[in-house]
This record gives sequence, C-alpha cells and structure tokens, in this order.
Amino acid sequence: MKELQIKAAELLENGTVNLLIGFSEDLGKRPVPCFIETSAEANMLVFNQECKNNLSVYLHKKEVKDAVKIGLVANVATLRSVLQLLSENQLWSLTLTYLTVNGAGELVVLSSAEELEAYVQANFPTCRPEDQEMIDKLNAMSREERWAFWKDQLSECVKCYACRAVCPMCYCTVCTTECNQPQWIKTSAQTSGNFEYHTMRAMHLAGRCINCGECGRICPAGIPVHLLTAQMNQEMEKEFGGKTGWSLKGGYALNTFKPGDKENFIK
Amino acid sequence: MPETFEPKIVAFVCNWCTYAGADLAGTSRTKYETNVRIIRFPCTGRIDFMLLIKAFQNGADGIIVSGCHPNDCHYTSGNFHARRRWMVFKSLLDFMGFPTDRITFSWVSAAEGKKWAELVNETTDSIRAKGPFVDYRTLDYTLLTQLENEGIAD
Amino acid sequence: MELKLISTSDIAVFVDGLLKAGKVVVAPVLKQSGKVFFKPVQSFAEVATDYIQTAFSAKEVVFPKVEELFTYQHNEDGSLDIKDQLDRIPETVVWGLRPCDAAGFDYLNKFFLQENPDAYFKARYDKTTLVTISCSKCDESCFCTSVDSHPGDTKGSDILLTAMDGKYYVEVMTEKGSLLITSNSTLFTSTDTLSKDAFLAKPVTHFAMEEIKDKIQNAYASVEWKQASMGCFSCGACAFACPTCTCFDIQDEGTQDHGKRVRCWDACGLSLFTKHSSGHNPRNTQTERRRQRLMHKFKYSVENLGVVSCVGCGRCIRVCPSHLNIFENILSVTK
Repeated sequence: MKELQIKAAELLENGTVNLLIGFSEDLGKRPVPCFIETSAEANMLVFNQECKNNLSVYLHKKEVKDAVKIGLVANVATLRSVLQLLSENQLWSLTLTYLTVNGAGELVVLSSAEELEAYVQANFPTCRPEDQEMIDKLNAMSREERWAFWKDQLSECVKCYACRAVCPMCYCTVCTTECNQPQWIKTSAQTSGNFEYHTMRAMHLAGRCINCGECGRICPAGIPVHLLTAQMNQEMEKEFGGKTGWSLKGGYALNTFKPGDKENFIK
Repeated sequence: MPETFEPKIVAFVCNWCTYAGADLAGTSRTKYETNVRIIRFPCTGRIDFMLLIKAFQNGADGIIVSGCHPNDCHYTSGNFHARRRWMVFKSLLDFMGFPTDRITFSWVSAAEGKKWAELVNETTDSIRAKGPFVDYRTLDYTLLTQLENEGIAD
Repeated sequence: MELKLISTSDIAVFVDGLLKAGKVVVAPVLKQSGKVFFKPVQSFAEVATDYIQTAFSAKEVVFPKVEELFTYQHNEDGSLDIKDQLDRIPETVVWGLRPCDAAGFDYLNKFFLQENPDAYFKARYDKTTLVTISCSKCDESCFCTSVDSHPGDTKGSDILLTAMDGKYYVEVMTEKGSLLITSNSTLFTSTDTLSKDAFLAKPVTHFAMEEIKDKIQNAYASVEWKQASMGCFSCGACAFACPTCTCFDIQDEGTQDHGKRVRCWDACGLSLFTKHSSGHNPRNTQTERRRQRLMHKFKYSVENLGVVSCVGCGRCIRVCPSHLNIFENILSVTK
C-alpha cells in the first residue's frame, strides 16, 4: 500500500485534495473509514479485500462537502455508486479524485467524471455469487415459504435505520419515515411497520440501487435487506433494460415509460 | 352462530375512466357486490404503492387498482407510469411472499360499466374464498400474545 | 449469598425443568445470519453456547422495542374499553447473560425505578430472574475491565454461573435467585468459596474509570470530537444494541374506533431526536450528537445516578457500520 499512501500524500500536499476519505486499521486490525487532511496522516491508509464500506455515502455529509476538493479511496462498487450519484446530479459542488486498485493490484488514479465512467464500465461488477445463490433459493421457495422467511427476518428489525444511513442513494434531507403528518411509516419496530419500511425503501431504490450490498452486510439484526433491491434490479434490467451506475447520463426506469411495456397481470 | 365472512375490498380508481365506468354501472342499475369501497384519484399515476399497503393494514382483505386503458389516459401518460410502477411493485411483493393475488389490477374505461361490475363480483368471490387477510393482521403479535395464543379479533 | 455447584450435564435438566414449570426462558439462540439473539426457547437444546456476545442486549425482556402501553376500543354502546398488559406479564428467566449485560440491568433498574417508578418496567422486572454466565473468552471490542467491572462480576445478577472443569460454580446473589434454585434443589450441592480467576477471560484494560471520571469534566470543549464522529452517519444501531440505552418515544397508533399507545426505542444519534417543531435543532451536527452520547454515558449518568452507564460490552463497536470505537474516542477526547 506504499504507492497508495505516497499518492495520497502528494494529492494532499499539492492541494488537489483538501480531504481524503479512505481506510485505516483499528486496534483489532479491522479496516475503518478514516478522514485525513494532511499529507503526514497518509501513512495510516490501507486498502485490501476487507475494505468493504461504501465510502461514497460520506459525500453527502456537510463536514465533508465543506472541503469541496475530496479524494476518495474506493473499490469498484463505490465507484459505481459515485457514477450513479453524478448521474442524479448530487455531487455538483464537489471536485473529486478517485484512488482505486485494479484487478492486477496496480494503483489507478481517476481525476474526472469521464475517466470514472470509463473505468467503471470496463470493470463493471456482477452480482456476488452468495447473493445470487440466496436470490435463487428464495425464488425457488413457495410463496408461503417466502412469506415465512421475510416475516421471521423482519420481526428482528429494530428500525435503527442503519440500512438507510449507510446507503449512498438515500440522501433525502427529509426521509419519508420522518413525515409525521400523517405518520406514513410507523416509527415503532413492529413487524407490519418494518415490512412497510423495507418495502417503501426498496421501491424508492428501484432502478437506483447499485448493489454494493452494504445495507445487508451491516444490518445489526442480520437481515439480508440487500437481496430485496438486488432481485428488483435484476427484474427491472430484464423488463426495461439499462443498468444502474453505468453511465453519467443515467436514466431512471420509474420516471420514463415505453408505450409498449408488457405485463401479464392487468385485467 | 358464526357469521359468514364478508371481505372488505378497497378500490383505487382513476376519476376519468374507472370511476365513470362504475358510475355507468350504477345508472344502468347493474347489481354488483357491495363489499367494495371506492377511492377516487385524478389518475392511476397518482396512486402511491404505500397506499395499497396501508389499505391492507387498516383492514382490507383485497384491493382493486384500476384506471384508463393505455393510450387513453386523461393526462396522456399517467397510466404508463402507473403500469411500470405496478410491475416493479408486484415483483417486489412476490419476492417478499406477499399474496399478490389479493390485489387486482385492471383497465376499465368509462364505457365499461359491465366490466366494472364483473370485476368487482369476481374479486369479491375470489377474496371471500381466500378468507380474511389474517397473515398480515397477525404480523404484530408480541411475545406476550403469542404465548397466550389469543384468537384473532376481527 | 449462597454458594453452590451443579454438574455441566445437569444444566440442561435445570433449564428444561424451568420450562416445564411454565416459566418463559429467554436465552441466546443462533440464527441463520450467524448472529446470536436473546429469544424465548422451548428446550435447552436451542441455546447457543459458542459465541462471544449477542448482537443485541437482553434489555428487550424488561424494556421491549415496542411496548403496548394500553389499547382502546370504542364499543357500539358508546362505552370505551382501555386495557393494558401489566397484570399479564409471565414469570421469565433470562438465561446466559454476560456479566456486562447484568450490570446493564443494574443500570436500567437505577434509571427506571427512581422516585416515580416506571410501572411497565417494574411489572416486567419484578417477574424476571437474571441468570448470568461468566466469560471465559472475549474479543478486542470487550472492555468491561475499563468500566469498573470484570468477566466474573456479580453486579446485577440474581445468579452467576462460572464454568469450571465439568461443573458450574453457582453464586446465588438474591432472593429471586434463591427461589429459582429451590425449584430444583436436588441438582445443586453446597460449596465453599472457590476462585474464579483461572476460568475468566482477560480483556485488555484501556483506561481506569477513576481517571476518566476526572478528565471527562473538561472533555466537552475538546477539538477531538469532530474526528471522533466523522465516520458517524446518524443511525440508531449503537443505541438499540446497547444494554443501557433507555431513550424512548411514545406513539399513538390507531383510528377513531380502536388503537393503541406504544412506547418504542429511540436514539440520540438520530438527527430528529432533538429537532424542535420550529425547525431549530440544538444538536444540529453529528459531532454534537456523538459528544452528547459519550458525555451522557461517562459524565452525566455519573452526576445523575452515581454510576457510569457504559458496561463495556462492546456491542456498539461491533454493530457500527463505520466501526466507531467508544473507548478509543473516550481516550482521545480526554487526552
């Protein structure tokens, strides 16, 4: 990781970047997000397969936005989410530089949105095998079995909103859950309210989620919520075409339509 | 003596087509089941998917969602957006194991009073056969009530 | 205090006996996700044994995540029925707590049972017996020895069990614990005091509480709070997993006809927690909210209730998506 640390120090030193978001290691040698502002701190940066957090979520944080020139150490899922955010026009006030490591272990520096788009398209991530396995397993179950599975899972939900907090696409300044006139989504963690919340969130992410899988990975109750949007994205790609986090132009499937859209359930 | 179960059906309909169609069924004196409660929207494009879930939560056993035929929307494209939304929503509910056969989607035009009556009758019969939507209403049983094994109040 | 022994093989008999006697037994259960949760069990076979710590605490037993305070129902004759569950709480045994969890219950006790005791908490707590098992292993997130506790601490427990070579050393601390033992007294034999040291885990001690209590007095103005909270994006995971976090919200859910008032968990980390209806938020940034959380645990609780409200269980560190570390933060702001 010497190369990464040297490059990061250089970017901070020459003013290309005011704030660099990357990973460092805690006492237990686990990668944790870190925020460095001086080149002297660059030697705490690490980057490996264990660095799974999607750091692009911090690009919405006020303390980060104030720095304007931001450096981001990212894996390809994170880069894909930045591309999606750029296509949704959410990062217009920031100048971003990206540092990543490609399949051959080489450091790659991306300095513009176009370079980012090209890199993401060349290294586009596919659905993780363990997630695909779980989706296939659920799809093979009967409806009653699926209901029992999700009922059991969602009864564990405590409505901590960690899934929402960690998602780069959940950037609404006032979330639907915070609307209390009327109380659209129950605040208490009853199963029916949990069901409402996760359904609502999955629908708001349909056609926008870039499948980083963070929501399911960090859920304190161990609920695989990332499978809901992963499966929906697969269905939507099949029905409507287009991939999320693919191009700067974007294209949200739920605010467009084709007169020829076909379904088999409307009487 | 146990009462026979009468389902509560909530219908989300668009003002210009289906509501007018239902109106036509009325003026034609067409008899149809009275279990349906109609909610009028300007357009199916206005129907938020959360409203459907809320309806079930507040005691609906079945839902009808109906609007203008594609290409006939009073606002040109509202029903096209609604169609996409329903396709995505149905696929999500199916994946979660939600019984989407309790939701009937349809296109009913202002001239199709007969179709409306048939739709309501079919839906009511089908939901009556399925029984009350107990699965959803028992989601919130706490540890205490589970232990006590209470009967389902309705 | 009574001291007893029970053989390891008789533990299952004891727990199954409690179940047969009609008690609700809440114990750690391994779920499909690989995480362990406190859940009601139907037999000892369901109890998980090989884990360091559960994902969430056991505070749900006395402070549920959703608690129906009362339900109301308008009747056809115009009368109103209001019902609560206070007299329907079952006899409950929480099995397999860690000493840090039991210390958490001790704090909950102090918090909820002040001059105007919380009737709902009291009704549940009075019917609950806490059986704790000492820790023989720990991980890098555990720090009970830094907060005036240790892996064999009896604080808050009705019974503390320590596993020792084919048997368990049983310290019966309270009347409630005694009653539980008496229900199956043939399984237990009396003993003299034994040393637990060799069987206890040795978590790293990061600081001395006395020193922190002193240094934290000036920590409010520390410039380290910003860096300590940069990774935080305002979810409630730490507060909900914590055995001593007691903040709650009260919501009315219902229609004109029937409904209920519920109490549900809330978290000071959530941005809405202190937002006024005018739109003003006195803790507008995550820095202020994180500072509030840590100062509450290490300073304000001491001032109000005489005890630190952190028990060193490490759950907040394990559940945090950004791995924010409470003891590292405390060290940096009290430097």
